[in-house]
Amino acid sequence: MKNERKRTFLLITIPILALFVCFNTIPLIRGVIYSFTNFKGFGKYDWVGLRNYIDLFSDARVGKSYLFTIKLAVVTTIVVNVLSLILAIGLNSKIRAKGFFRGAYFLPNILGSLVVGYIFNYFFTYILPALADMMGISSLSTSILSNPSKAWIGVMIVCAWQAVAMNTIIYISGLQTVPEDVYEAGGLDGATGWKRFRYLTFPLIIPFFSINMVLCVKNFLMVFDQIMALTKGGPAQSTESISYLIYNNGMSGGQFGFQSANAVVFFIVIVVISVAQMKFSGSKEEQL
Amino acid sequence: MKHTSTVGKSNRVALCLLILGLSTIVFPLYMTVVIAFKQPSEMTTSISGILSLPKTWSLDNFREAMEVTDFWHSLKNSLVISVITVGLSILIHSLMGYALGRNKAHSKFYNFVYLFIVSGMFVPFAILMMPLAKQTAELGLANWAGVIILYVVFYMPMNIMLYSGYLVNIPMALEEAAKVDGASTWTTYWKVIFPIMSPMHATVAVITALAVWNDVMTPLIIMAGSGENTLPLAQLNFQSQFGTNYNLAFASYLLSLIPILIFYIICQRQILNGVTNGAVK
Amino acid sequence: MKGNRLKCLGLALGCMVTALPLQGCGASSDKIEIEIVQYKPEAANYFKTVEDEFNAAHDTIHLTISSPNDAMTILKTRFIREDYPDIIGIGGDINYSYFVDAEILADISDYEGLQDINQGYLDIAESLELIPTDGTYIVPYVANAAGILYNKDLFAEHGWQIPETWSELTQLCEEIEAEGILPFYFGFKDTWTCLAPWNAMAVELSPADTAKQVNRGQTTFTQEYRQLAEKYLALLPYGPDDPFAYGYNDACTAFARGESAMYPIGSYATPQILSVNPDLHIDSFVMPASDEREGRTLNSGIDLGFCVTAECENKEAAYEVLDFLLSYENIQKYIDDQNAIPCKKGDFRLASMLDGMLTFIEEGNMTDYQDHYYPSEMSADALLQTFLLEKDVDAFLAAFDANWQRYNRDIIRMVQDYEQSLQ
Repeated sequence: MKNERKRTFLLITIPILALFVCFNTIPLIRGVIYSFTNFKGFGKYDWVGLRNYIDLFSDARVGKSYLFTIKLAVVTTIVVNVLSLILAIGLNSKIRAKGFFRGAYFLPNILGSLVVGYIFNYFFTYILPALADMMGISSLSTSILSNPSKAWIGVMIVCAWQAVAMNTIIYISGLQTVPEDVYEAGGLDGATGWKRFRYLTFPLIIPFFSINMVLCVKNFLMVFDQIMALTKGGPAQSTESISYLIYNNGMSGGQFGFQSANAVVFFIVIVVISVAQMKFSGSKEEQL
Repeated sequence: MKHTSTVGKSNRVALCLLILGLSTIVFPLYMTVVIAFKQPSEMTTSISGILSLPKTWSLDNFREAMEVTDFWHSLKNSLVISVITVGLSILIHSLMGYALGRNKAHSKFYNFVYLFIVSGMFVPFAILMMPLAKQTAELGLANWAGVIILYVVFYMPMNIMLYSGYLVNIPMALEEAAKVDGASTWTTYWKVIFPIMSPMHATVAVITALAVWNDVMTPLIIMAGSGENTLPLAQLNFQSQFGTNYNLAFASYLLSLIPILIFYIICQRQILNGVTNGAVK
Repeated sequence: MKGNRLKCLGLALGCMVTALPLQGCGASSDKIEIEIVQYKPEAANYFKTVEDEFNAAHDTIHLTISSPNDAMTILKTRFIREDYPDIIGIGGDINYSYFVDAEILADISDYEGLQDINQGYLDIAESLELIPTDGTYIVPYVANAAGILYNKDLFAEHGWQIPETWSELTQLCEEIEAEGILPFYFGFKDTWTCLAPWNAMAVELSPADTAKQVNRGQTTFTQEYRQLAEKYLALLPYGPDDPFAYGYNDACTAFARGESAMYPIGSYATPQILSVNPDLHIDSFVMPASDEREGRTLNSGIDLGFCVTAECENKEAAYEVLDFLLSYENIQKYIDDQNAIPCKKGDFRLASMLDGMLTFIEEGNMTDYQDHYYPSEMSADALLQTFLLEKDVDAFLAAFDANWQRYNRDIIRMVQDYEQSLQ
């Protein structure tokens, strides 16, 4: 009997593991191998050793893409988390039509990010300047997407618009795990409003806080769809995210080998950030 | 007494703020609908022009958009890919989650496989996309079938983590009872375990469906240029064909948003629950 | 019971999976399939007509022509997947050079239609090869011309004269501005439009084979492009306040609506412009970048040419398709539709908006685009856009040289090896 059980499990695991290896591990290894060549994607290529990696660190365009992506990820994460926390508290409190509000606020999250990007592209290029003209705000009267130093803000707004919902949901679940008696006890000790939040609520939702941070930063580091729709990396290559640069230059720019090296470095960055974040937040969790 | 009155006041404030916040969501969608119905001649840059309702609510823009973007064909592709991916994910990932979940505690091999697969969550698609472009072509999978397989593999780490986590709540006693009745492990799984995991199936279905339906990168790498599109891919391809005819473009955007909107309105509660469960786990 | 339900689900899925591929199996034919992918989406309608006419007239060959957006990306992606169309329609630019070098194009020197092509264009095709390669790999189909498009009615109304030197051009801009009209419109949000005035001026201010000279180590871009960069900056004040907010489509629309008197872009833009305002009278003149009236040359290159891929299984069928495309009627239809210049020898009727450049065309006084030699990874257009934003000539030229060395390392080495092998 036990052997039959063992055999069944093996028969289940091996094929599925093989599928995974075939379509996840092997491409990963091949990607690493390509990173040591000057492959264009087609035609002949040569082995160039570490040349691509050395070039990566002196390539201003790659550096710019990392800076932009990290900046975007950090700022958007902060904005999103602050907004979602506030929203979660609001949606968790005793108001009418809670279900309706939750449903409505989650709507942006389910919409395709490409189309959302196109809609906001129009909004930023035509509607916002018109609004700004009417209200007399001159700094917004030209499209922010055409300004190399402000275009990233447009991207951030679109990312945040869609991401707030997901984080809010997580925070609501978190807030719901805080039992009422904690608040009552705190109320007896005179804790209200901000103090109540800072010393009671926040420490107890830290696990949810850390989930959100990890998810957010990782997601925003991989931003692609919004870039395709809003700026295609411009203006002046100021909004090229890492994924976008890898795709654009790797697939159609003939830099198959070089961008593979970029992808390997990106992979390492993601792993490091995820692991570091989990370790860091894990140490701050407080048991109720 | 004092407690309830402050609560009442702050709730009213919260309500007002929430309604205001809602406008940030409603406004872009309102614009989309309005622009999609307008004609190019009604598009001005003045505020009144922007906010005004269209003169006629004709469906011409939509008809044209459907033709230009081959809407029904792309919709069919998206549906096929999404449904099959979700179906296969539920079947395969739950099975694997069961196999790994039950054995990883006491077997180094299974524990290793579990960690190996779950660590796949850290692999961004960016590093896989170029080798996969070549590999799927070599295997003859540069089409919708390849896209499905890639999705099943790509979402495996997360779903397996969810399923094996859920498995902890299912006592071994159930399986042992079935074995006593003479059932093989395989039958036990499908007859006993699989049905019990249905809340998790719902979660996985929702998360996977949402992710796959809206995904742009995978079809872009595998299917672009083959003449077949998914809904997002069609948007990408035909974007430049709209030129400055924003009305046509927005009609097309609205068309591509409608399926998921319908899905959301019907299954709203399941979606929210599913997403919550998935994220919290 | 639950097992049954499961089996049903599995069966249904299985049916779906097997049924779908069968859907595509309807078209089993004994005909030879020839597929063309060409990169000009604006000519999609023309090619659809050609496709239909060909298929109606030919029993043994079935032709499919697709004109996708961003065709070069799609082609390169397909090449990565080793899924080659039979014929590709591309421009005579760096991509052509790469494809020849990658040995994925077939040698078509035995194609008879080549004899009817203007030698000038065949020469341009030859010089595009990174290192001289035996054989011919492209059939030039049509050429374009890049100068300055101008609004004929506005010019007639105000009595403005066509400038023939750089000083006359700047003076003209002053005149136009004095009347409260915008001299130029730019669509710099789409980075590639930055290259249009650049190319048009480069043909007069820098040697035609600058890129090749740099590859041989004989000069640098900092030397050859300085005047070009400075003069480009001098044009900016005559354009809109924020040229980077408008893309190609926006600029075409603005020019079509009479918001500017001139538009420094190639002849390929006229279909788009006329689609916005069919009543506009457009003409063009060669962009004078130097003060030597006699030194002017028209910036023209192979806008569309057809190459047969090495993987094409039936070369004869491909040649038949090419013959059809190159017929007199079809070329005339194309140039009527797209305002292009034919590469084939013969008496063709050119569009009226090319009138201002007719003498140059007839004399064959044409020079290819500089950017046909720029590697795509270098994103020269993006470099240009940055330069126009920041207006720093030295930084731009230095970046151009540095980037060139970096992205052309392998090509430079190949060229220098070839030169050495000749000695």
